[in-house]
Amino acid sequence: MELIDRYLQAVKFWLPKAQSEDIIAELSEDIRSQIEEREGELGRQLNDSEVGAILKQVGPPAFVANRFLPQQYLIGPLLFPIYRFVLKIAMLGYLIPWVLVWIGLMIYSQSYREEHAGGGVIGALGSLWSSVWFAAFITIAVVTIVFAVLERTQVLTCALQNWDPQKLPPVRDRNRIPRSSSITEFIVGVLFLIWWVDTFSSQTILRFTAIQITLAPVWRYFFWGFLFVSVVNVALAAANLFHPHWTKLRAVVRLASDCAGSVLFCWLLKSNFLAGITVPNVEASKTLAITNAINWWDTKMVTAAIVICIVIAAIDVYRIVRLKGTTSSLLPQASAPAILR
Amino acid sequence: MVCVIHYMTHSDGTMNAFENLRLEMRRGFLVLAVLASLRTEQYGYTLRKTLNDQAMEIDEGTLYPLLRRLESQGLLVSQWREEEKRNKRFYRLSPDGKKVLKQLLTEWDGMSSSLGEILKEQHHGAY
Repeated sequence: MELIDRYLQAVKFWLPKAQSEDIIAELSEDIRSQIEEREGELGRQLNDSEVGAILKQVGPPAFVANRFLPQQYLIGPLLFPIYRFVLKIAMLGYLIPWVLVWIGLMIYSQSYREEHAGGGVIGALGSLWSSVWFAAFITIAVVTIVFAVLERTQVLTCALQNWDPQKLPPVRDRNRIPRSSSITEFIVGVLFLIWWVDTFSSQTILRFTAIQITLAPVWRYFFWGFLFVSVVNVALAAANLFHPHWTKLRAVVRLASDCAGSVLFCWLLKSNFLAGITVPNVEASKTLAITNAINWWDTKMVTAAIVICIVIAAIDVYRIVRLKGTTSSLLPQASAPAILR
Repeated sequence: MVCVIHYMTHSDGTMNAFENLRLEMRRGFLVLAVLASLRTEQYGYTLRKTLNDQAMEIDEGTLYPLLRRLESQGLLVSQWREEEKRNKRFYRLSPDGKKVLKQLLTEWDGMSSSLGEILKEQHHGAY
C-alpha cells in the first residue's frame, strides 16, 4: 500500500522524533484496520482512489500530526490581550508622530520634498510607505519577542496572578475633570493674563535693554481677542474647580473658546504682525530681513496650526457628543446628576 | 432581501454557536466515555468502533492524542501486542484511572441531577 506509506511519511515529517515511530505505528494500524473492514464489506481489495478517500477522511498530514503535539503558542491566551494592547500603543506612538513629522517635512522642507516626492502624490505616498513599514515591522517584532520571552519565563504571568483588589485603579469617569488640571489651568491662565496685559498692551515692546520690537496696528485685535479668550478660560477653570464634571454648557463654552482662540491664532500667523525690530549698532536692512523672515515663517506655520486647531476642536466636539449620549455605564447613578446640571 | 440575508446570517451564526457549544460539551463527555470503555482492554480501532456504535463519534485525530494524554497522566496503561498477525497497542485503565473514573462518575451523577433539577424548575416556571 504505497499510498498509505506516503501518507504516514508525510505525517511523520511533522512529528517530534522521539515519538514519531510510536505514533506512526498506531496510526498505521488504525488506517489498515479501516481498510480491512471496508474490504470485508465489499469483498474485494480497495483501489487507490478508495484508499485515498479513507486517508482524506483521516485528515491532512500536518493537521493530524499537530493533534498529537502539545498545544503550542508564542504568546498564550493570558498575555495575548496585554500584547495586543501594547502593540496598539507602540504602533500609535510610532506611526502618528512619524506621519506628523513626514507631513511637516513635506510642507516645509523643499529639499526633502524634491528628494522624496518627485513623482507627485503617488511618489510621496510611496515614499511614506517605504519609510514607515520597515520601522513598523521592527516595532512589531520587538514587542512580539519581548512578550514571547515573558510567556516562556512566566514572569508577567506570575506578576499578574499576585494581584491585590485594593490596588485596582478607581472607577474611571470620563466626564469628571481632575481638580489638579483645573488648578493648573487656573494658575497658568492667571499668570498668562498678567504677562499678556503687562507685555502686549502697547504696540511697541521694549525689552532686553535696548531692543525695540514694534507690532503692526492689527495687533490690537489680537491683544483684545486673546485677552477675552484667556478670561473665558480662567473663568471656566474656576467653574470646573468647584463643579468638576463636564456639563453641556461648559463643554460648548470650551468649544467656542477653543474655536475663537484657534481662529485668532491662525489669523495672527498670516497677518505679518511684526512691524519692525530695532537693535542699536545693527543696520536697519539686517533687522528688516529678520522681521521679514519671522513673518514669513509664521505664514508657513499656518497649515500646521490649522491641523492642530482642527484636532482640538474635534476633541471638544467629541466631548459634547459624549455628553449627549448615554452616561457612564459603570456609574450611571453617580454621574448622571452632575452631567445633567 | 435584506431581511432574508439578515435571517440567513443570523441562522448561520446560531448554527455555528450551537456547533461550538456541542463540541465543547462532547469534549468532556468523551474523556469519561473513553475511560469507562477502557475498563476492559481494547486497542484504538476497536475502541473507536465501540464509541461510534454508542453514538459517541470520535475520529482518530482526536482519540489517539487523547489516549496518549490519559496515559501520560497515569490513568491508562498500554501494551504493544501481536494480534491477527499485526502489532496493536492495547489500552486499559490503570489503578489510578479506576479511582479517577469513579470520582468522575460521582461528579457526573451530581451534575446530572443538578441539571435535572434546574430543567425541572424551568419547566414548571414556564407554565
